[in-house]
Amino acid sequence: MNSKSTLKRRDARKGAAFSSIYVIYSVIFWGYPFVWLFVLAFSKWKYFGSPKFNGIYNFLKLFNDPVFWKSFLNIMNFMLYFIPLVLVGSLLFAMGMKRLKYGKTFVGLAFLLANISSGVAYSIMFSKMFSENGPLNQMLDKLFGVRIPWFTNPQWALFSIVIIVVWKFVGYYGLIIYSGLNSIPKEVYEAAKIDGATRWEQFRFITLPLLNPSIVMILVFSITLSFGIFTEPYMITGGGPLRSTLTPMMLMYTTAFQKMDPAYSATMSILVALMSFGIIWLTRKIVERDVSLT
Amino acid sequence: MKNKFLVLFIIILTTISFSKTKIVFWTAPNPNQEAFWKEMVSRYNSQNGDMEIEWSTIPAAGSSEEAILTAVASGRAPDVCTNIFSGFSAQLSEIGALYEMSSLPGFGDLVKNRKMENIMKSWEYDGKSYIIPLYSNSVLMWWRKDILKELGWDNPPRTYSDIYKLSEQISTKDSDKFSIRVIQGRNWNDRWFDYITYFYAAGQGESYVDLDRYRANISGTTGKEVAKFIETMFKNKWTAVDLGDAAFYKGYIVGSLKGPWEIAYAKNQFPDVYNNIVLSPAPVPDNYPADKPVYTFADSKGLVIFETSKHKKEAWEFVKWIFNQKDFDSMWLEYTQMPPAREDLLENPLFENFFKENPYAAEYAKFVKYAIPPAQTTKTVDIQDEMTVSLIEPMMYGTKTSDDAIKDAAKKINKLLW
Repeated sequence: MNSKSTLKRRDARKGAAFSSIYVIYSVIFWGYPFVWLFVLAFSKWKYFGSPKFNGIYNFLKLFNDPVFWKSFLNIMNFMLYFIPLVLVGSLLFAMGMKRLKYGKTFVGLAFLLANISSGVAYSIMFSKMFSENGPLNQMLDKLFGVRIPWFTNPQWALFSIVIIVVWKFVGYYGLIIYSGLNSIPKEVYEAAKIDGATRWEQFRFITLPLLNPSIVMILVFSITLSFGIFTEPYMITGGGPLRSTLTPMMLMYTTAFQKMDPAYSATMSILVALMSFGIIWLTRKIVERDVSLT
Repeated sequence: MKNKFLVLFIIILTTISFSKTKIVFWTAPNPNQEAFWKEMVSRYNSQNGDMEIEWSTIPAAGSSEEAILTAVASGRAPDVCTNIFSGFSAQLSEIGALYEMSSLPGFGDLVKNRKMENIMKSWEYDGKSYIIPLYSNSVLMWWRKDILKELGWDNPPRTYSDIYKLSEQISTKDSDKFSIRVIQGRNWNDRWFDYITYFYAAGQGESYVDLDRYRANISGTTGKEVAKFIETMFKNKWTAVDLGDAAFYKGYIVGSLKGPWEIAYAKNQFPDVYNNIVLSPAPVPDNYPADKPVYTFADSKGLVIFETSKHKKEAWEFVKWIFNQKDFDSMWLEYTQMPPAREDLLENPLFENFFKENPYAAEYAKFVKYAIPPAQTTKTVDIQDEMTVSLIEPMMYGTKTSDDAIKDAAKKINKLLW
């Protein structure tokens, strides 16, 4: 009995030792900045000296800051284009992959390549490609006699950023849906066929409901990603034209490191986190279903 | 045992007394500047036995400002640092992070010997000097000499009306081509290379911000003339929001404002165009006297000592030593091709050979004494961001008249400054 409890205690100690690495890591790189973030949100501080408590001033300022709310609306606008496009795109990609007989790995990797590419590098590439006299506009001009103001019209600029981000994530999200598709047993489709279900009905009543966990996952990823968009608008449009591509992340960065107001930037980050959590919670409430084949 | 302690004590004492004072020195992460500072620092270290300069480039980050601010926040700021622009030095001075240099012994002599008495005035914050400018890149208009000649222009356009005339000529010939790039981009710092340069040129160096009255200075005659010029160019489609890549070199535009850093790029990338360039000051209103000098914007950066430095006196000695080197500025010019911030560039025999061999650089040097840095305000980024959104973009997209845009921008900038 005694030796058993000693063994248990030894095991517990080993477990604690192993997990402590992660705990220490979290305390240093997550806990400390998290506490500091809250301290800053209620302070006035400009990198030098100690923060001075200023109550809820930063929050009041934030609620009355039209630029912050403009950046928030931009993200909502961004999601309005991005989520349907990336969902349909990745669904088509996954269904295409499913039907492929050869070269699945190659196609999967080819699409994933966009996901692992450097944001700065492809932003420069797209800004050249989509520029007023860039190759894309030259082609459109030759074929149809039109030029699209990709980055110079407020709505087009946001949409162009959406296209770039969809290009980056369609492969990654597509693979998530692809694994979801693979987990649906063939027998379910066979039974549906016997019952006389058309292809559309199979998709509508079997594929789509059974893909619910994958779709919810992609929705959560997409919302988190939308609130974190930075590199593409920062590199390509600088937040313009007319602040139409200004994102909260860009605003936080410029506020902290160019306008030298890290405390206000910290306040923004808290509100943005709360809003993104709120939207994720709402989405899950609306979309998430308990899916089970048994 | 007693002997052991005695030996240990002697060792510690010897180490302390023979150890050198270390000055941490950060410079811009730029290959040319790195090569320059490497040589300068090794010269200093070999000549000064009691002090050692621990030199490195500003750590990698999103920007130099970000790296420096992170270092200031974490208490790891260097003793001396270069690559600080005037607006950033104003921000750092405001929070008390910079060491005031104007009251230090030898400061007056340093300024006098380097011939930068007038230049220093525009770098002062609250009447004090916290930064010594290293270089001053004036901004000038580049023109395609070959295209101008084809269109019958022997000299580049000087006034707004000249540019309108040239624009009409070009647009009637080819609607895909334009006279000049009026606006450089939509980032806050792009305003230095368009609106602020036009403003300094039109107003004989007048500032766009009245720092004594905490007000924007863009609603007066100068501001109205500059805004009308920008509005006219966009309204008549004589320029475009996006002109594409290398528009000047590909011949889509005939002129654009550029800094001296473009010289090496043009020489290497477009050698044919390089030989067909003529430089002129920024365009001015029609009534601007032809015999008066045209002011321009100075893209310049300087050197500071941080208040957190434990060796401020030694750091100041190092700074003085740098500027006392006779070949400091000529070597800087050779290595970086950027004009040192001094007013005697064209008269000083030290630089004669360089400017003879580099005529475009000589053209830039002529304007160093008429080149003015951004207004010394801690709100540089906010002001220029507001200029972009409330003044420039509405005129670019035709959503407001120049008068309305000025009113709106002035109101918002005043609010920022108040």
